[in-house]
Amino acid sequence: MILQLKNLFKWVNSGGNRVFLLNDIDFTVEEGEFISIMGPSGSGKTTLLNVIGMLDDFNEGEYNFLGEPVHNLKEKHRSNLYKEYIGFVFQSYHLIDELTVYENIETPLLYKKHSRSERKAMVADMLDRFNIVGKKDLFPSQLSGGQQQLVGIARALVSSPKLILADEPTGNLNSTQGEEIMQLFKKLNEEGVTIVQVTHSENNAAHGSRTIRLKDGLIVNN
Amino acid sequence: MIVNYFKIAWRNLKRQPFFTFLNIFGLTIGMAGSLLIALYIYDELNFDNMFPDAERIHRINVDIKFGGDVSNLAEVSSPVAEVLQSDVPQIELVTRFRNSGNMLIKKSATDINVKETQVSYVDPSFFEMFGVDILFGDSTSALNEPNTLVLTKTAAEKHFKIGEAVGQSLILNNGDTYVVTGVIEDLPKNSLLRNHGVFLAMTGNEEEKENNWGSNDFPTFIKLLPTAKIEDVQTALNGFFKKYFIPFAQPYMPGITEEQFLASGNYYNFSTIKLQDIHLHSNRFPEMSSNGSIQNIYILSFIGLFLIVLASVNFMNLSTAHSLKRAKEVGIRKTLGSGKTALIKQFLAESGLITFIALLLAIGVAALVLPFFNTLADKTMEIPFSTPSFWLVIIIGTLILGLFSGMYPAFFMSRFIPVDVLKGHANGSRKGGGIRSTLVVFQFAISVFLIISTLVVFQQLQYIQNKDVGYAKDQVLVIQDVGVLGNQQQSFKQQVKQLAHVKQASLSSYLPIPSYRRDRGFYEEGAISQENALQMQSWDVDMDYLSTLDLELVAGRDFNQTFGSDSLSIIINEATVKVLGITPEEVLNKRFTYELGVENPRFYKVIGVVKDFHFETLRNDIAALSMHIGGYANDLAVKINAKDYAATVANIDNIWQKMASGQLFNHYFMEDSFNNTYNAEQRLGRIFITFTILSIVIACLGLFGLAAFSAEKRAKEIGVRKVLGASVGQITYKLSVDFLRLVGIAILIALPLAWYAMNKWLEDFEYSISIGWSVFALAVVLALLVSILTISFQSIKAAIVNPIKSLRAE
Repeated sequence: MILQLKNLFKWVNSGGNRVFLLNDIDFTVEEGEFISIMGPSGSGKTTLLNVIGMLDDFNEGEYNFLGEPVHNLKEKHRSNLYKEYIGFVFQSYHLIDELTVYENIETPLLYKKHSRSERKAMVADMLDRFNIVGKKDLFPSQLSGGQQQLVGIARALVSSPKLILADEPTGNLNSTQGEEIMQLFKKLNEEGVTIVQVTHSENNAAHGSRTIRLKDGLIVNN
Repeated sequence: MIVNYFKIAWRNLKRQPFFTFLNIFGLTIGMAGSLLIALYIYDELNFDNMFPDAERIHRINVDIKFGGDVSNLAEVSSPVAEVLQSDVPQIELVTRFRNSGNMLIKKSATDINVKETQVSYVDPSFFEMFGVDILFGDSTSALNEPNTLVLTKTAAEKHFKIGEAVGQSLILNNGDTYVVTGVIEDLPKNSLLRNHGVFLAMTGNEEEKENNWGSNDFPTFIKLLPTAKIEDVQTALNGFFKKYFIPFAQPYMPGITEEQFLASGNYYNFSTIKLQDIHLHSNRFPEMSSNGSIQNIYILSFIGLFLIVLASVNFMNLSTAHSLKRAKEVGIRKTLGSGKTALIKQFLAESGLITFIALLLAIGVAALVLPFFNTLADKTMEIPFSTPSFWLVIIIGTLILGLFSGMYPAFFMSRFIPVDVLKGHANGSRKGGGIRSTLVVFQFAISVFLIISTLVVFQQLQYIQNKDVGYAKDQVLVIQDVGVLGNQQQSFKQQVKQLAHVKQASLSSYLPIPSYRRDRGFYEEGAISQENALQMQSWDVDMDYLSTLDLELVAGRDFNQTFGSDSLSIIINEATVKVLGITPEEVLNKRFTYELGVENPRFYKVIGVVKDFHFETLRNDIAALSMHIGGYANDLAVKINAKDYAATVANIDNIWQKMASGQLFNHYFMEDSFNNTYNAEQRLGRIFITFTILSIVIACLGLFGLAAFSAEKRAKEIGVRKVLGASVGQITYKLSVDFLRLVGIAILIALPLAWYAMNKWLEDFEYSISIGWSVFALAVVLALLVSILTISFQSIKAAIVNPIKSLRAE
């Protein structure tokens, strides 16, 4: 088991009313799973993903990640935890515009204790694996959307995380590119990477091993 | 990691050329300006520092209050040096100077005269006192004999090949022949000896031999033994009055005692000042060369600091306003595991890079404009490129500046929360709005303050130059060096007077512009006691002096040829009468003498009282003054009554050429010389205005950048408003009014501060303007005008954009 959410609530107060973004979420992710989170706009998919990624906090409940009680951890501890074990993939790629492909992939390693030569080897490995060696000196603006997302995934994977969190990874791509990314995810999953993705598309969800449906912050099926 | 920081910093700078330009340009101006000011201050602070053992050298001052007259002198009487040497074992050396003013010097009877300023008698210990190296000659014997002199290299080269100077003779304009016994290096520009070129052996001076404690004409310097304390010298000096002055004064003031002297409110206090302190801290009479003032150093330090702070504030403002663009990057880096510290380091690396680029540019700019600045400040400063400590100071300064400027933006931006900024609805730049507004207010408050200060400085200068000084300075031509004519002076004067447009002419060495001065103690007949003894300027003039300078009599009469006794008459000024505490009418016919220790002293009868006129600068009050008919004169003042000055000057030149056989015809207009007296103030004024303009430019750069970013941030709002029917004018107003409000607040803060500070500054002048509302009005209009121009450029640009453009991006 990688992580477990127990009776998790997140709310905001709006004009005297308490609006629940996440409502009593109980949810476990086992190692090797490929989970898709689905639901209509505003149902709390991205919020849930951000909570799992420890980018966002919650108001009530428990969250255990690899045996560590995230709800009791200090900010610094938390960031060490996700830095070590979680890789993020975003809908709009979120590459740093001022950095080359190579440097973008290298960035997460800069925040860990890796020597220059180690970093070089790890990034080279990624470039090889995704067949983008030839593009390593290009800037994000010089790549197509699919290629940018490929770099985004390479960046998420470079530090060998246990869990990949993907927020609509194909949302900005055309169907061919989207399908390619899904195939890649599937392959990664088969190689042992645990993946949680948010998606709108049933098609994409079908690639996963399990689908969670959210509505108004509630899990409607699991 | 560090490499990555600098790489990304560099790419960021390249990506936003406009932002980078504003930032670097502002910092460059600020740093270059501060660098120049720092050089100026450094130069001023290091005056007279180059003399070896400078810290052991002190000058003796004396403050005297005698018969109601107060003198703060930088010179003491001749015998002080001797008794210092004999009474105070802590003193290693004593050197006296005796300035004899400007002199004309020639090689032989047939040669043309060369003019030298501040020709001084000096003791032989001069070389050792100031560690002056002698190039030719022998420093141990060079000034031991009467009628010997030492020249600086420049002075020597006017007459001789420098190697051949020693042993040659020079004729001074008093007719004496001197032998050159030494040539020394030119004296440093930033020392009090800078205007000296000719040093005469003190042994040839008549006054030097007199044991006269009554007149103070000798600038006297001492050098302490390395272990000695100046306090010991002070103790000895405190005893001098009783030990030496009282016995000296006994014959003229029988029964005088120290107790009685002090009891009647008089004093006679010696003090000392360190050689290095003279330039900035001494404001006595007469100084060997014109001094600076520590107050101006403080003012300039503030301006320098303002410039740097303004540039730094610009940086903070632009960086935080610009942070929206960087928010996404911060968010990504945080999700990739970056901590706050790593981000802060990254942003500091960026500000460091920017400040260092600005530093390099600033050094280049400073080096380019230094020649102009040297002219402006009348200095010969250089950027000390080869001095390691210069680089050390500059690099540490830049690091501090980079850190200071980068700290706030770094903390500001590293606090962004990734979830918010990645969703795109974080409005990072709205958060810093309060602080940014404060900073803009701060910048403009400083600028308005400087504008007002500059205006006041200029008004005061105007006032001084146009103030009625009590004599006619316009239309008076001064012919210099008439001393060379010897006994033909009178005939020269008469011939000049006969010229068509010459109204009047007067021979005198004493003029109410910087000129020769003599101070004497006068004693009233029948009562030679301290109560009615007074210290007065004692000027040799001629019969036509008052009418040439249009001096106005308030009582009595002018000198007159028909009174044979006028050679023993004096005319005094109102200030003297005030010191005496009687009316001008009462002082008439009283008789005074300055001759102490003479069997039958000559008494001078007061025949007239002139209205006070300003013969020193308007910084000083008008001192007591007496004029009597004298013999020798070196200047001829000519009052001209014509539009065509050139022709009259040419006519006088003709007469001169006939009589002076080839000597140079030196002349100037009194008004020009008067204006030169205020060179220091004018320089300060020009420096002020230069740096004020710089500070306004920097503040405007900041405002320009902020307006640009504000327009960019509000692009969508502007688009929507336009679609809804707002006009370009309405939108321009909408965008500008927020900034103008800030400028308005800045003005409100700056006005009282400037008013207070400038009143303080004006207190320093004996005669000053009062600050009128017009200064404030002008400052406000200037500040508003400049800021409106700056802002409206951006606002109009934003307002005329087609709304489809800004709305499509959403």
